Amino acid sequence: MLKKMFTIFRRDAKVNTREFLTAYIMLAPVIFAIAINLIAPGINDTTVNLALVKGDDEQMVAYLEDFAKVDVFKDVAALEKRVGRRDDVFAIVPDGDDYYVLQQGNEVEGLEQYATMMLTFYQEGMRIEDSTAIIHSFDRTVPPLKKLLVNIFMMFSAIMGGMLIAINIIEEKEDRTIRAINLTPISRTAYIFAKSVIGITLPLYGSVVLVVFTGFRGIDWGQMMVLIVVSTLISILVGFTEGLKNETVMDAAGSVKMLFLPMAGAVAVAEMVGEKWQWVAYWVPFYWTYKGVDSVLTYNANWGTTLLYALFVVIISIVAYLILMPGIRKGLE
Amino acid sequence: MIKVNGLSHSYNKDGKYAVKDVSFEVKEGEVFGFLGPSGAGKSTTQNILTGLLKLQEGEVTVAGYDVKHIKNEMFNRIGMSFEQSNVYSKMTAKENLDFYRKLFDVETKEPQFLLDLVGLGDKGNIKAGEFSKGMKHRLTFARSMINNPTLWFLDEPTTGLDPSIAADIKDIIKAENKKGVTVFLTTHNMYIADELCDRVAFIVDGDIKLIDSPKNLKMQYGDKLVEVEYIKDGETINESLSTIEENDKKKLQDIIGQSDIQTMHTKEATLEEIFIKGTGRGLI
Repeated sequence: MLKKMFTIFRRDAKVNTREFLTAYIMLAPVIFAIAINLIAPGINDTTVNLALVKGDDEQMVAYLEDFAKVDVFKDVAALEKRVGRRDDVFAIVPDGDDYYVLQQGNEVEGLEQYATMMLTFYQEGMRIEDSTAIIHSFDRTVPPLKKLLVNIFMMFSAIMGGMLIAINIIEEKEDRTIRAINLTPISRTAYIFAKSVIGITLPLYGSVVLVVFTGFRGIDWGQMMVLIVVSTLISILVGFTEGLKNETVMDAAGSVKMLFLPMAGAVAVAEMVGEKWQWVAYWVPFYWTYKGVDSVLTYNANWGTTLLYALFVVIISIVAYLILMPGIRKGLE
Repeated sequence: MIKVNGLSHSYNKDGKYAVKDVSFEVKEGEVFGFLGPSGAGKSTTQNILTGLLKLQEGEVTVAGYDVKHIKNEMFNRIGMSFEQSNVYSKMTAKENLDFYRKLFDVETKEPQFLLDLVGLGDKGNIKAGEFSKGMKHRLTFARSMINNPTLWFLDEPTTGLDPSIAADIKDIIKAENKKGVTVFLTTHNMYIADELCDRVAFIVDGDIKLIDSPKNLKMQYGDKLVEVEYIKDGETINESLSTIEENDKKKLQDIIGQSDIQTMHTKEATLEEIFIKGTGRGLI
């Protein structure tokens, strides 16, 4: 039976690569990951990028490297060329016995003062040891927006998996092939499971792509997988229901997209609403997935909490299953 | 091979039956025609026999399996060619057959062999979505043979096909039947039924009106007539004369002896005529 289920999954995956919309859905996690990497440095990176002339003042290079990202270039022309590029880089250019700061002019406001101050500190001989400031830290090492985006896009992938199922069901309906499948020795339950596999593999592959591409490689992969797999349950159910209910791919995709609303709502509640109002999102499985994945991405998760969150998602999905399954079974007749 | 006893089915379970108390039997190796107009209950019966519809009332065994408690392994033994073609349009013809063959637990036919058989041998790598209606129908027909079924359900197998392809399909059906395959043929085309079936059942309004071999039905319901066209006194005359009634027999002899005969042929009743006579209904 497993072999037959794999045959059905492989057919779905193969056909999905042949259509623009489905191929795009399969490629979406890579696009998300690239987008996060493009957006995140602009938000999180508070390091000043400095460019200096190679061999001009090795001591200054060593000093500034403690506070900024420093690159050295062979001459002033190379410095000017580097500053002229799209990102924010300040050059510290030798001018006789002194230096001046060279900028493009469109850098993020305030960064030029930071660069100027570092040059001044060096010239004044100030050391970090001279500081009397006391630092207290929350020990949060993960950029918050990057983490938020990765978490959201992982849930996006789960919903996309449901969308893919809906599209595949619509294809079966348009081609009237469900009747032919019903006359093969594969049980209806096995068929439903087989059609669901793509709704699990896509989010899993999407999550792996997101985690690897965005640099969260050190997380507990097992915990992440558990949370992603359980979060696909509701998407799979909705995917089947909408696939059977709708007549066109666009209608089904539109209906499955409605899942983005509770997902966005759950994230908003988790991030912006006070503790005493958190319960309003308890019914949304994505709320628990979001909280679980958030812990995993901040390297604070433990198996107890992860499994508890996963259990909440499973319970909510079972309720949805009991409501939706009779319709799904009937629709496949 | 098929035993149906007291089969009734109501879609809305409201006392309105699509088929009502239907009983018949199909013997192993037989080509059994299930004939009737649209809405007569042909598809309902066939869908119950193949497990596509749940059995509500009656007893049905198909290929030795009780349809009330259908087992998946039954589908290894049956094949079904649908009236409306149903193949994956985004997959090639060969991929379609390759996919289906992997869903069976029994030895299957080679996709290329089947494509050659139905005249699609050189179209294996073309997506089914690019096929004409007739080509899709042939692919659906080919797919129904992939698991070497011992019981073969055929729903309007020649509909939409040009005469030469339809003739090929009929030859395939005859050849498979010769190998021992039992055929359950659902159609409203009396000519194909007449040509292929060992026995036919006429169903109207969910009720089987007649079951017998086409030959017996013709003998029972048909008139033995000769149609003759001849010239008498410079005038062309057409007449239908009975080969049984004495007066007509004598008249025919006179015509042959005295007139210039243009055309003359025997005219036995068609199944369609018998259907109308036997059921009081047309086939549309």
